[in-house]
Amino acid sequence: MQAEQDQLARISAGDAAAFGQWASSVESSLRQTLRPFATLCDTEAVLQEALLRVWQVAPRFVHDGRPNALLRFAVTTTRNVALSELRKTNPTPTEMEALHRALDAQGEVQPVSPDPKLRAAIAKCREKLPPQPGQALAKRLEGTGDDHALAAALRMSLNTFLQNVTRARKFLAECLKKAGVDLDLELSP
Amino acid sequence: MTPEDALLVERVVSAHRERSADGAVKSHPNWHDLDTEGRQAAFDETVRQRTIERGIDPDGQSSTIKAVLARLR
Repeated sequence: MQAEQDQLARISAGDAAAFGQWASSVESSLRQTLRPFATLCDTEAVLQEALLRVWQVAPRFVHDGRPNALLRFAVTTTRNVALSELRKTNPTPTEMEALHRALDAQGEVQPVSPDPKLRAAIAKCREKLPPQPGQALAKRLEGTGDDHALAAALRMSLNTFLQNVTRARKFLAECLKKAGVDLDLELSP
Repeated sequence: MTPEDALLVERVVSAHRERSADGAVKSHPNWHDLDTEGRQAAFDETVRQRTIERGIDPDGQSSTIKAVLARLR
């Protein structure tokens, strides 16, 4: 609990590195809470917007004394952003009812600690990636450029770049499976 | 899924998102071009992609987190 409060103090003081560390530990949990919205709104945009709002509110956030206070606040923020996006599409009452049922069925969300074994397995498989998919994957990880710019930086056409990213992910998933790591099981809620 | 749809899905898997005039993160334009199957595939592939990215990045940051942090500066 003390470590969590220390981290929150750093985030509240405007420490972006501390926020990045916290956000990395909760990203996959927050994304899983968006699974019921997967076909209803762009959950990547929702997640980024929610994390930005958490950062903006953090200086005024008061810990309630229970574990994972900022994460619980982030879950609420994420759902609210998603629901706000959804309302723009005029969902039917039936759709909303089904969505709320799915949200109510979600258990308490926990942060996910980095898995050193998974990390080592990914590193090993990455070494075996063919050059072009490997370059495309590395470029995607930069995260800030759009695909046209990333493809141009690698002197690839947009479609070739996209196909190489897909190939890289499939190659890694297959390689991990052979090493006894089922990425889909790792990702299950 | 057609090869064209697969390319659209891959575009949506990207963490790059534009901002609106009021600074909000905008949906990826190609997300709206996807049917239900494509949207679900985009979500699932994004989950896989970000897990791989966290495993590769020295700081354990996915492209989503990098994109968010870039907006703080």
